[in-house]
Formats: sequence, C-alpha cells, structure tokens
Amino acid sequence: MNVTLNVNKVNYTVSVTDGSMPLLWVIRDLIGLTGTKYGCGIEVCGACTVMMDGQAEHACVVDVSSAVGKKITTVEGLSSDRSHPAQKAWIESQVPQCGFCQPGMLMSVACAMNAGHHGSEITKEVKNLCVCGTYPRIRQACSKL
Amino acid sequence: MNHPASNSRRNFLKSAGSALVLGLFLPTFSRFGDAEAATNTQINTWLTVGSDDSITLTIGSSDMGQGANSGLAQVLAEELVVDFARVRTVQGAPTLVSPAPIGTAINTVGSGVTRNNFWKMRDAGAIAREMLVQAAMNAQADQTRSNYTLANGVVTHSPTGVARTYGALAGAAALLTPPASAQLLPDSAFQLIGKTLPRTDIPNKVDGSAKYGLDIRLPNMVYAVIKHCPTLGGTLASTPVKPAGVMAVIPTKVVAGTARGVEAVGNVNAVAVVGTNTWDAWQAAKRLTVSWKLPSNAASLNDAKFLSDATALAGNAPTFVAGGLNPPGTLYTVEGSRSAVSTALAGASKTVEATYTLPYVAHACMEVLNCTVDYVAGTKCVVYAPTQSAKNVLSLVATLTGLSADKITINTTYLGGGLGRKAETDFISQAVQVGMALQRPVKLMWPREEDFTHDQYRPMGLIKAMAGLDASGQIVGWSYRNVSPSILAQRGLALGASGDSQGIEAANGLPYNFGQRVTEYVTHPSPIPVGFWRSVGASLNTFAVECLIDELAAAAGQDPYQFRRARLTNPRWIAVLDAAAQLGGWHTPVAAGRARGIAIGGAFNSIVAEVVEISNVTSTGLTVNRVSVAIDCYLAVNPGAVEAQITGGVVHGLNAALYGRQSFVNGAAQKKNFSSSRMIRLQEMPAIAVTIIPNPAVADRTQTIGGVGELGVPTFAPALANAYFKLAGKRMRSLPFFPNATMGGL
Repeated sequence: MNVTLNVNKVNYTVSVTDGSMPLLWVIRDLIGLTGTKYGCGIEVCGACTVMMDGQAEHACVVDVSSAVGKKITTVEGLSSDRSHPAQKAWIESQVPQCGFCQPGMLMSVACAMNAGHHGSEITKEVKNLCVCGTYPRIRQACSKL
Repeated sequence: MNHPASNSRRNFLKSAGSALVLGLFLPTFSRFGDAEAATNTQINTWLTVGSDDSITLTIGSSDMGQGANSGLAQVLAEELVVDFARVRTVQGAPTLVSPAPIGTAINTVGSGVTRNNFWKMRDAGAIAREMLVQAAMNAQADQTRSNYTLANGVVTHSPTGVARTYGALAGAAALLTPPASAQLLPDSAFQLIGKTLPRTDIPNKVDGSAKYGLDIRLPNMVYAVIKHCPTLGGTLASTPVKPAGVMAVIPTKVVAGTARGVEAVGNVNAVAVVGTNTWDAWQAAKRLTVSWKLPSNAASLNDAKFLSDATALAGNAPTFVAGGLNPPGTLYTVEGSRSAVSTALAGASKTVEATYTLPYVAHACMEVLNCTVDYVAGTKCVVYAPTQSAKNVLSLVATLTGLSADKITINTTYLGGGLGRKAETDFISQAVQVGMALQRPVKLMWPREEDFTHDQYRPMGLIKAMAGLDASGQIVGWSYRNVSPSILAQRGLALGASGDSQGIEAANGLPYNFGQRVTEYVTHPSPIPVGFWRSVGASLNTFAVECLIDELAAAAGQDPYQFRRARLTNPRWIAVLDAAAQLGGWHTPVAAGRARGIAIGGAFNSIVAEVVEISNVTSTGLTVNRVSVAIDCYLAVNPGAVEAQITGGVVHGLNAALYGRQSFVNGAAQKKNFSSSRMIRLQEMPAIAVTIIPNPAVADRTQTIGGVGELGVPTFAPALANAYFKLAGKRMRSLPFFPNATMGGL
C-alpha cells in the first residue's frame, strides 16, 4: 500500500507492506532520512524521537498509518543551518561524544521547548538514553534554552 | 628546552604535484599483547598542504566520540603555526602492506590515539613547517632563518615585509628533501596544546548529517537482519525454507579469527534474513522457525556453574608449565612469592580476607552492530563499517573474498559507540558472507536483542584476596588471586608465565607498600565469548584492590584516604589522591544522610582517583549525588575533551556497577534489551567534577603520556562500594548492586 507522509514540510509517498510498519523504518529506509536513529525498538532509549504535530513521539513504535496527515519533524528539519537554539546550545556546550543518541535527544529538547519549557524544566522532560554519558553537558546546554 | 624531531628520512614521501604531501610512519601500540604485536597496528598519517592553502590531515583512527582525531589536528596545527580551524581531518583507509605506508587506518584501542601520536604529530608539523619556510628562504634568496616569522600559515620575511602563504609555497616545498628532524616549538609558545578547543566532529552530530554505519545507503541496496541461535555454540540443523515475501535466508558461519570459546570456527551459528527494508526483514526473521543443534555442553553454561568453577579454582589450581598452551584452569604467578606472603600473613596481628565477584557485562553501544557490503565477484568488495579495527577488517575481507587488497575498499564510518566491541570483526564477516551470496549491496543489522545476547562480554571474575596488618596498622602481606576467563587465551594465544596481560591489568605493580605480595591469575574455563570492554581487566581488578584496601583501613581503624595516602609509594599517585579528596570535599563534613567513598587506580599509564558521594540506599536502589575525579595523564591536549571522556567513563562505570550484568541459562543470554539492562537517564546523573593534574611546564618526550578514554571506569565501582559501606554499614563485594533492576519506557 502507498502512504503519504509530511516530513520536514515535504510530502513523501512510499510503498509499505502494511500500515503497521513503524514510522522509524519508513523515515530511514524508504524516505532515506537517516538522522533519526534505531536504538532499542521498544520505546526505552529515545534515539528515534521525532516531533509529530508538535509532540515528541518514538518512531520505533508509531505505526506509519497513524502518522499520515501529521506534520513530522526530524533532526534534519530542526533547521537548515544548525541554527535551532538547541543545536546552537549543543555546539556551544560541546555536548556530543559518539553522537548517536543526540538527534533523538535534540528532538526531545525541541519538543519540550515547543511545549513552553525552559532550562531545568526541559531537563525534567528529556529521558533519552545516552550511553556515552553526555548528561552534564546536556544540562548545561539546556540551561541556555 | 626544545626537542629535535627524530623521524628517519625513509618515513617521508613527497608528491610531485603542487601540494606538499608528507607521509609519516607512526608505530603504535598493540593492546593484544606481544603475540600479535608483530603483525599489528601502525598509525599512519597523511598531511597535505595544498596550493589552495588547505591543510588536510588524514588519520586512520576511528571516531567513536572520544575526540582524538580532533586532538591530533590540534597538535599538528600548533607546530604548523596555523589556526586550528584550518586543519581538515579525513578518515584514512587501511592497507595490508607491512610496514604500512602513509595514510592508512589502524586499530583504535587501548586509549591510545592521542598518547601514541602526540610527538609524531609535533614532528610532522615541525618538519612540514620548516620545509615551507625553506621554500620561502629560497624564493627570497635569504637563508637566514631568523629573518622569517610565521603566523597562521603565512611566512613573512621580516627585513622586507614580503609575505608568502603556505599554499603559495607548497609546490616549491614539495620539491625539497624533507629534513630528518626539525626544531619543535618551545612549550612556552603553545597557543593550542593544552587548550580546550571545539571538536571538529561535533557540528555534524547535531543535524543528523554524521553518517554512522547504520546510516549507509547504496543504490540497489537490500537489508539483512541477523538471527543467531539463541543458545551460544548452537549450529544450524537444517537450512530453513525461505518464507514468502523474503528475498533470501542466508546461513552464516564463524570464520577464522572470529571464533570465541563455544562459538567455534565453522559453526553455522546464524542466518541472515534479507528483505527490501529493515523492518520487513526483521519481522520475517522473528517469524522464521529455525532448527538448531545445541552444543553438548549447553546445560553447563550457567551463572551458578561459572561461579562454582571460579570458587574451586580460587582454592586450588595447577600451576603454569612453560612451553606450549596451558589448559584453562591454570594458575599463573604474576608477581611475588606465595610462600613469602604466607609467612608474612602468619605473623600479622590482623588479617582481612574477602572474595569479590563480578559478572559478564555487555557493551551495549548505542549503535547496534552493523556492516554494509557491496561485492561483485572477482571485481570488488567495498565495506562500510563502524569499526575500531579497519586493518583487521581488510585482512578478513581479503581472506573471505580471495580478492587482492587493491580490489577491496574499507570505509570507516562514524561509530555510535565502540567500547571495545567494534574492534571485533564477527559482524563484518557475516555481512561479507551475505554480500558474497547476494552479489548486490546489502546492509546487515543486528537487532538490539541480538546485540545484547551475542556480545563478546567483559569477562566475569572472582577475586580472592587476603592482606595482613601489623600492630601499627602497616600492611605486611598482600595475597591476590584473580580467576577470570582469559580474553587472549580464548583467541588461541599462548599465555606466558604471568598470564593474560589484559586480565591482570591494574592488579600488579601497585605502588602500595604491601610488605610481601603475591599476585596470581587463574584462567577460568568458561567458553562464553569474551572481549575488550572499556578498561578491560582494570574494571575487575581495581574494584577488588580498592575495596580490600578500604577493608584494611577499616580494620586498622583509620580514615580510608589517610590510610591509602600513608601507604602509597608513588608521589604522582599521592598527588592524584589528594586532588580527588580536595575536589570531593573529603576534608569537610558530609551532609546528613550521605556518605563518601574513595578509590584510586592506574591503567594505560594514567592515574585516576574518584570520590563518590551517595544517599538514599534501599534494597532496590541508591542515589549517587556527586562524583569527583582527578586524573594525571601527564599531558592533556584538549582538557575539555579529557573532561568529557572521564565523565563518560564514570557513567559507563556507574551503569555497570549498579546494573550491568549478562546472565546465562543453559547457554542462552537472558538480558536482551535496555529494559532489563538498566542504565541511568539524565535525571539520575550525579553532579560531576573533574580536575586534571596540570601539564608539565616543558613536556619530556621520554615520559609516557597516559590514556584517557577508559580511565573514568575502573575507580568508580570501588569508590561507590566504599561509600556504601560507610552509609549502609555493609560491604558490597559482588557487582552489580542491583542485578534485577529494570528500565521502564519513555
């Protein structure tokens, strides 16, 4: 079946076997945007976090059929030039180590900001897993937001 | 004082083009012990100064978040006298030629990239700089070196003010014979070394553009998902029928060089299910019924059996016999004399005996294992892999495909964590096998559950230790026996008289006044695959050593910090201990309901001490409030990157100490995802402070620079356990603290 998704303000029509394919794999394998990561597949780590109609969603467990008609934003859509405040804060605080969790981390932060949170309010919301342990610098970066 | 560079001329090549190109021959260290040293690891670097003023440094080490490539660029820029921002780094590819020529990739292990290449980078930068100045001197027809000044890639002739850029000089410099050596900058002139500078890899990691192995996409590529026999050592009983909707089901076997214990060479221990996207292939793999033949010893592959074997060997084990392979269960004397220690302990006024146990632990890199292969028979094999060992990958691919090295390309991608796991090549060999069977581009992925259950784990260990005090509280005897599966022996390497060099890391040569000491190592017979896990043997030994020291301090009725301080024999260790104690507020009262613990250790030529402050101990958890770390790595190139790595190491050590454990039931690993292998989230992150012993005023190249990447790990667990004793009144001698902890969803 064909589904049309709006990702980063662009409509993509892709063919999926059925509507239960998780949004994550549609974004990564079929659309080809690889910034959104696979970490656990069971909604525990948050590496796959995207924004859907302004809310944080974990794309590894979202059926693609339920994403149709929604506005989806991935890390590639945060800005075209690393100018989103969270991206700027991340660079300024030199947050990433391996960097694999950071797209999901940034999307969780962006969603928290979208909900009107600032600073330490954001750090209460963001529960993504970072195996490298970049947490202190995440706190520092969020304090600027 | 300046240091002459000392590279021999044969190490340098130059191109005939308009660019100055220098190749450096950079011998490096092997963490795999002497047996592999002869065939292993050269770091090679390719420095290009282009006529367009570009400066490109090709580095063969892998980026897994440690910032080492960025740090080497920082060192090079210093000696070249150019702004750091102008140096571009490029990932090098490996070669089979030995000794490896310039610009080729190496194995990124042992916290080694910066420390093994600091002086080489300085030499390279100095030689390149002086060749460019020589070209300016020739153009100016004034050979007085002191008439030239340098600033950000511009050579200025002071008497006339004529300025020439490196780019303009590069073509002429390329025609010169590189000098055997060049004067290095004085340390007092450093603008970059020792400064926290922004890492070059970070911008790509905030917008999704950094390409990890899992992000590789090739035209016409298909997706494969691995499905192993759940029981380690199991083999395929019959090839499964290809289900409808699946492109292929391809059995894969264990190939030479990747065999580990029960996973023997030739075992067909997995199938790869191939589809047009990851999800469809993965779902088909989950549904696929595969008939496996289980190993005859499966029933013995249990946690309880591993522990009882270890306990027996800690009591009695046959001693090492020189010449040939000794069987598992052999006792190696690392240092000292058992009889002398026995005598000393017999005369002690007080003895303390303790047994410490540590579990198998999975690596659990954020990015699961994966590899992409584009193979055309007889023509090419192109590999894209998040690998710490590109050179080993090249050897493996050449063997598997029979292709000559010139038809093989190994592309090292960004690594979403390495932690030692991505130095292994089992997942690469599977992808190559699948690529060869399909003859079209394919990306092979291990689902998270496969990544947890088919790891090459940090070895379990049981350490039986005993020490004695005299009436004044001095240590008179120290007996230490570590029973642990040997990583090196499992790889078929013959261990020498002192056992596994990795397994005894941080157990021997300790700078404590122990009186008489004996350190022993016994190879545990468990065939569970084991491998290098961030800090390797030090992660076991520092726990046992520093917990026993703490128990001795308690037995002597002394403060744990003062007790250590009075018995350490190395002033650098004492300075690090003092720095951590100061940072952690050891000399000030702790808040009500909290307690502090301290530990010190050394590995990879660095010294680290940690003070851990905790509260809220219950039967299911505790709060780590604060961690204070001091490190002496002799010389820090980028202190901000050192701080980040130490912080990361502390979190790695914290996750392992509290929760990390893989357990086995009849050969099947039980922890399959983060939900049952808990790690801390942002809200649980303790406050952390890191202090770095200042760089020497003048660095001495005869001194060994220490590693950093793995150093935050070993001292965390003992400092935690020692704080726990202080707060809860009991010793925690078995890790992890909370083996059954789970992690809920987001």
